Amino acid sequence: MSVNVIVTGVGGQGSILASHILAEAAILAESEYPGGEKVNVRVGETFGAAMRGGAVASHVRFGRGVYGPLVGRGQADMVIALEPLEGLRIAVEYIKEGGVVLLNEERIPPVDVKIGAVRYPEIPEIKAALEQLGASVRVVAGSRLAEQAGTAKAVNIVMLGAAFGSGILPFGEEILLEAIKRRVPQRFLDANLEAFKLGRES
Amino acid sequence: MANSKLNQPAGCTALLMGNEAIARGAIEAGLQLMAAYPGTPSSEVGEALIEAHREGDYYIEWSTNEKVAFEVAAGAAQVGARSLTAMKNAGLNVAMDTYMTLPYGGVKGGMVIVVADDPDAHYSSTEQDTRLLAAYAEIPCYEPTDQQEAKDMTRDAFGLSEQLELPVFVRSVSRISHASGDVTFAPARDKRNSLGFNKHYKLPYRWNVYGAPGPVSKHRWLHEVLTKAREAANSSPYNRLDLAEGADVGVLSSGVAAAYTVEALERLGLSGKVSFLKLGMIHPLPDRLVARLLAGITTLIVIEEGDPVLENMVRAYAQEKGYRVAIRGKSYDSILPPFGEINADKTADAIAGLLQLPVGPDKREGRREKLRSLVAPRSSTLCAGCSHLGSYWALREALKKHKGVHIINGDIGCYEQGGYGLFASKINVSDEQSKRHPIRSAYEILDTIYVMGSGIGMAQGQAQAGYKDGKVVAVAGDSTFIHATLPAVANAVYSRADITFLVLDNRWTAMTGHQVNPNTGVDTLGNETEGFDIPAVVRSLGVKMVRTAEAYQLEESKQAIVEALEFKGPAVVILQGECMLQVVRRTKRTGGATRVDEQACTGCTLCVQLGCPAVMFDKDRKKAKIDEINCVDCNLCVQVCPHEAIAVEGAGK
Repeated sequence: MSVNVIVTGVGGQGSILASHILAEAAILAESEYPGGEKVNVRVGETFGAAMRGGAVASHVRFGRGVYGPLVGRGQADMVIALEPLEGLRIAVEYIKEGGVVLLNEERIPPVDVKIGAVRYPEIPEIKAALEQLGASVRVVAGSRLAEQAGTAKAVNIVMLGAAFGSGILPFGEEILLEAIKRRVPQRFLDANLEAFKLGRES
Repeated sequence: MANSKLNQPAGCTALLMGNEAIARGAIEAGLQLMAAYPGTPSSEVGEALIEAHREGDYYIEWSTNEKVAFEVAAGAAQVGARSLTAMKNAGLNVAMDTYMTLPYGGVKGGMVIVVADDPDAHYSSTEQDTRLLAAYAEIPCYEPTDQQEAKDMTRDAFGLSEQLELPVFVRSVSRISHASGDVTFAPARDKRNSLGFNKHYKLPYRWNVYGAPGPVSKHRWLHEVLTKAREAANSSPYNRLDLAEGADVGVLSSGVAAAYTVEALERLGLSGKVSFLKLGMIHPLPDRLVARLLAGITTLIVIEEGDPVLENMVRAYAQEKGYRVAIRGKSYDSILPPFGEINADKTADAIAGLLQLPVGPDKREGRREKLRSLVAPRSSTLCAGCSHLGSYWALREALKKHKGVHIINGDIGCYEQGGYGLFASKINVSDEQSKRHPIRSAYEILDTIYVMGSGIGMAQGQAQAGYKDGKVVAVAGDSTFIHATLPAVANAVYSRADITFLVLDNRWTAMTGHQVNPNTGVDTLGNETEGFDIPAVVRSLGVKMVRTAEAYQLEESKQAIVEALEFKGPAVVILQGECMLQVVRRTKRTGGATRVDEQACTGCTLCVQLGCPAVMFDKDRKKAKIDEINCVDCNLCVQVCPHEAIAVEGAGK
């Protein structure tokens, strides 16, 4: 069995950190896989240069039969979108029939929209579009819940909590929490653990 | 910092990015010196080694360019040290002169050259495949399939380098360097090579290609060593042949492409049913393994990332040895295009197509195609408050004083985005409006962009050929100025080229992740340095017209450029403004106090043309608006607005 997840968003939102937490959890959980065969973990990223605000997508893959860093077209079990337009961009190409798409509702308009050159699709439009591809789409008030947890920056962890709540991830909550502890700076840990909880319950 | 994840104990398994894995491999080999110039996607090799650096460890530096870095690493290897240099694809072109010559004398200490290619040109000007250059320089080449191999091969490359006395090439790609995987650590070598210099080590005049008996003899020596290198490839643990009994189809793959191939074969149900040769040490070609693969098959499928390098090496070998095998890859009757990157999907399609395997149609493709029109582009932009926005605005304004078709030659750095355009803007080359090419925004100002330092050289050719229809301008950043433009500035002085050269000085090598350069004021490990006086350097090269201005003061910048444009002969303007991301990080500056007075705003959109991603425009209400979250109160749009409709609250007028 293999799991294919893509975390997407805009540069600076923490999608790469979220993907690394998932991959770290998969390494921690390796002993839980039956059979004893070594399980590969991969994260494939596409990101621009040091500039802020670019589109980011991070492919997380683990399990048997995983070798390369990229999820195949139409093969993502789940797309975790920290930004809805980026969720649309990625899920149109990658979500499998019956896959789950989680959309943080906060929109970050690209410059093309800001200068009035193109239109930003409404969230119900995005949801309907992805449902046409057979995806199960859930809109999450990720940014609001992150602020409620104590820091707007924890939106990536709220969305991880929501992802865990979806029941697709093949490892226990304590493993994911351990991975968060290993990757999140100590001074932000409490807020992030709260963010995870709010996301999971959302 | 000893607590870097690269300093964890042997036996642990960690998630490492390919570049971090390469760095760990070097640590496991007992690295003594690392020198590099940053270049995406290779920079994290150096960054990781800086982070893992402990007092008394290896020497490490960000050099001024790849050629200097290469020579620093080569010098270390000459005195016996284990050295590493890492660069992007184009970086090897810069280092090429020394790179091609070093193998004639070889090395004493292990020297490893890591080159991160960039198929699909995610971060590069070209998709060039540097495996060809490993073959061209006649040195051994590894190509890792995943992050574990990236670490292990880098470590083993040092040993192979010492065994053969040749530098060893490790060819990575973006999908290895910038991808992460689980990597299990091996022990780090405690021993360090002892240093010494033997004037005639094993060969006469070993370190002097011209020394008796001359370069041809040294080239002969190189070929003797290559025979041993071929044996190393034939017995390399990274080369694996799985022969399938009775199979008449064979597959050959290497590097990241081998990972895609394994997945594709599994998807198509072909695992174990075709013979498969996976190569990790690809040069010299392991001839005995290739012969065993070719012996039983009639069709060979070659899957590789980049050019058909292995494919053509094997084709030549098969012809020479008389194997009658149809070889299909990217060259003749190709099953994959020789441009763009591949993946498991494309590999599976290519194999299925060639072998006429039934593949179910993708029922959802029609629906996807319709939905794609909803996906708004997200164009790459300069950051909110970037000093380059001010520099480009000032250049535009200064050029308005001169009629004609001006040529603005770009260069490589964040400011290259001055030539990216906005994806949402429709460009039609047959359209008269587009032909006149009005400089509408900061993203359409650059006319030529090729490589580091190319702008000022090309500008001279345009001017010296007698181009008179407009002004000829070149731009380069501070790091690029030091990296690649100094000979060109000297050339412009002594040839009296009538050009204007803008140095966009933001103090950092920003685009690759804010590495230091001599102009930053601190060295690689953060110690203060004397700094680098760009205006003084330009003057000392003989430039008579040198102006400096604050990039955040638009009128001052514009006046400096106006004077430079009017000057007959080479003129240089240094526009100074530290990278805003670094300013924000250091000063914890927040911003967000810039406001538009809607009464005063006429909807003229001049502020939008500044190109700042924090300046928005409400098309329905025809009013500008500031994105308070991204705005850093840099004051640029305030200066651009001719109606005094934008102000930073609390700043006064």
